[in-house]
Amino acid sequence: MAGAIIENMSTKKLVIVGVILLFFQAFSFMVGGPTTAVHYLATKCVDAAKNHQSTKWFMPWGPNQCEKIRTFDEAMAKKIEANNIVFAVHIPLPNMEMSPWFQFMLVILQFDIAFKMHNQIEDGALATVDVGLAYRDDMLSEWTEMAHSLEQRKLNCNFTTTKTYENEGRYYECELLPFMEVGSVAHKYYLLNIRLPVHERKKINVGIGEIKDIRLVCIHQNGGFTQVWFAMKTFLTPSILIIMIWYWRRITLMTRPPVLLEKVIFALGISMTFINIPVEWFSVGFDWTWMLLFGDIRQGIFYSMLLSFWIIFCGEHLMDQMERNRFSVYWKQVGPIVFGSFCLFIFDMCERGVQLTNPFYSIWASDVGTELAMAFIIVAGICACLYFLFLCFMVFQVFRNISGKRSSLPAMSKGLIFRFKFLMLVTLFCAAMTVIFFIISQVNEGHWRWGDHTVQVNSAFFTGIYGMWNLYVFAIMFLYAPSHKRYGDQSSGQCIISDTGANSGEDIQLTTTITHVDGPTELYKMTGKEAQE
Amino acid sequence: MSDKPDMAEISSFDKTKLKKTETKEKNPLPTKESDISGAMGSWHLIKPLILSMCYHALASAWSVNNFLMTGPKAFLTYASSVQVGAQSGIQECKHQFGWDRWNCPESALQLATHNGLRSATRETSFVHAISAAGVMYTLTKNCSMGDFDNCGCDDSKIGQMGGRGWIWGGCSDNVMFGEKISKQFVDALENGHDSRAALNLHNNEAGRLAIKATLRKACKCHGVSGSCSIQTCWMQLPDFRSVGNYLKAKHEQAKKLEMDKRRMRAGNSADNRGGALSDAFGGIPRTELIYLEDSPNYCAKNQSLGLQGTAGRECVQGDRNMTQWERRSCRRLCHDCGLRVVEKRVDIVSSCNCKFHWCCTVKCDKCTQTVTKYYCARRGRGRKPHNKTKQRHRGRGRRQ
Repeated sequence: MAGAIIENMSTKKLVIVGVILLFFQAFSFMVGGPTTAVHYLATKCVDAAKNHQSTKWFMPWGPNQCEKIRTFDEAMAKKIEANNIVFAVHIPLPNMEMSPWFQFMLVILQFDIAFKMHNQIEDGALATVDVGLAYRDDMLSEWTEMAHSLEQRKLNCNFTTTKTYENEGRYYECELLPFMEVGSVAHKYYLLNIRLPVHERKKINVGIGEIKDIRLVCIHQNGGFTQVWFAMKTFLTPSILIIMIWYWRRITLMTRPPVLLEKVIFALGISMTFINIPVEWFSVGFDWTWMLLFGDIRQGIFYSMLLSFWIIFCGEHLMDQMERNRFSVYWKQVGPIVFGSFCLFIFDMCERGVQLTNPFYSIWASDVGTELAMAFIIVAGICACLYFLFLCFMVFQVFRNISGKRSSLPAMSKGLIFRFKFLMLVTLFCAAMTVIFFIISQVNEGHWRWGDHTVQVNSAFFTGIYGMWNLYVFAIMFLYAPSHKRYGDQSSGQCIISDTGANSGEDIQLTTTITHVDGPTELYKMTGKEAQE
Repeated sequence: MSDKPDMAEISSFDKTKLKKTETKEKNPLPTKESDISGAMGSWHLIKPLILSMCYHALASAWSVNNFLMTGPKAFLTYASSVQVGAQSGIQECKHQFGWDRWNCPESALQLATHNGLRSATRETSFVHAISAAGVMYTLTKNCSMGDFDNCGCDDSKIGQMGGRGWIWGGCSDNVMFGEKISKQFVDALENGHDSRAALNLHNNEAGRLAIKATLRKACKCHGVSGSCSIQTCWMQLPDFRSVGNYLKAKHEQAKKLEMDKRRMRAGNSADNRGGALSDAFGGIPRTELIYLEDSPNYCAKNQSLGLQGTAGRECVQGDRNMTQWERRSCRRLCHDCGLRVVEKRVDIVSSCNCKFHWCCTVKCDKCTQTVTKYYCARRGRGRKPHNKTKQRHRGRGRRQ
């Protein structure tokens, strides 16, 4: 009664993998949060030149710093116009430098707009931002332009207190505006120059209230987390790869062609390896801005593969009379997954794809874009709902069949039931862990306090969940591979080929033809016989 | 410790003050201070340094003073931010107490510590708190602007300055930095060893905690396709008015310290500020304001306390849009103090029909209109208000 290793496994190997993953997790506790948010307050520079040449860069501090003003009252007194003001932000702060280990840089824009009775923000006001991004790699060289764009952002601001004279000068509460996203941090210093040009006739930047300050929040991944992450990927890639090769060798050694479930498990392994391969190492040396998009695609492929696997696994254990073992049977269930992931892919291409050329682009900035993005997300959400309905229905069916036919089942299908229940249990456990950790990380602000020590759960959450799913795929390939151990009355002196053949016969029976529970079919008998000879 | 500067002094720091302190610095530092070693020593050094930042004679002291591990230049930048911060604190105080009997007068602030009359009323505790908060707020903001060399990243816990530690795990929040420097500067002003010093330190701390309490959390999701599988949260500074409002509420609930019970412990505790302070005021949370003395009567003029009284103060009434507190200001300031309200009709030239840009450009017409203002006046003196002006114009003076 041994179709796959699951029925007679040794846990030692699994424990070793688990311990190493735990080690990574413990290590990531020490890293701190996976990302860091750094606050920047834009320095108000004065562009004295009459015709603004865009080649000039304004530095907020350090040598060659611009002519600064502290407040706009000062500008008022000096008769400086809005068009002559440049908001300059140097990333990072003094005495620090950016590093390729940061992986990405995400900048959020926030306006500090003071409430004035006579100068309120109009409904649906758009801020038009003329922004330039430049970089350099040492403190002395010239700035090199990286991107320049004229962007529009919708101001969603509301004033929480009553609109009276007493409250003049208080700030509106404005939504965070996505501002910039760069997929690689290849340079040491970045400089942002932001202008808010006013053109009354074209209604540009009119009615946006009285802007007091521009604040930026720059989010990047912590170098420590990146290193732990890379190390983990580098360790996991060969482990999954080896088990995958081992698994496929087992399959090919069998005399029968692989069944659908085996193929799907193999595909799951491939997608896991694909996501594992630490190509990010290259981002340390090369300026590959598409790495962020590539990462998204890899994750998308893995997730859709995992979801398809669950459907097919359930379907193959559905002990009904239907002939399965063909991919086309599952189009109804896999369809939503593919369609949903495709929608998300299109959405991602619209956002991060365009950002490859214009880092300031945001699909949420325009009304049409927002609607389009929402449409994609809603469609993907509907697909996800459909999928889970299908999945739940199938699981329910399997359990109904099991309970209904348990008494009438031959002893060998007990293994099938055990196998199914085991995966259900492990999957549920993994999913529950993911959800629990997700909630914790959202609620708990990412850290726990233990006395004086602050323990970062976020990093551990990411490495932990990532490791857990790796372990999951590893375990599936390991446990559901055809076993070469034998039971019963078969002689132990058989050669390997016939041995695996014998098991493959049983395996076929377990996975597919067992669905004909009313009795072993002729096919089964034949394969079994053939294998034994 | 009569030579100790107070908050108001920092805020109105100028050349004349510098001159004044120059003479003070000729006195040797008190011997008591010199035997306190380590960190305590540096606290005591800061105090004169704030006032004589450019003063040469102390240049050698900088090498000893390694708490910032930066040169005097950086210290100077801090000091100017501290000054601006203290000013903004006082400004906020004036706003918050605009319609109160005590309206945060500068004279009172100076008197608070100077004449040996170190009062520890509800109001002075507010001044201490809001000044400390203002300093912390400004330092945090200026830190984000890149004004300081090692802002946020001089945290020894994370690693070395700048470089590796920053790349490995990022730096501590700018707010932490503001808090730290604010502590070093503002608390250093309070170098007495009595219960009042301990009380002021407590209120300073309460002010700094007010900023932390009003911080708002903002999050950004940036997982796959912008999903929330990864999100980064940060705390952002509110506008300073929120801090002022918060502290005003704390001012109203301020707790009086029972001196007879605690005098002994509080008195001893000032030697070891940090730890023992919490013991002394053990029952009171660190976020609460505390005071020792009941407030004097702010209605009456009291030269020795430096109180101006409410006579001559402006008050407001008659505007529907106002809060209860404002609407009753005339009653509080005038009637309850035994004064009467006089109305004055003033012609005000103001701007109207304005066209604004987001900054700096305002195109306005000039309009003149008459508004009615209300002032408190002593009974039986001054001219009687004309009855016909009773028809209330739109209340507030500034209005239109």
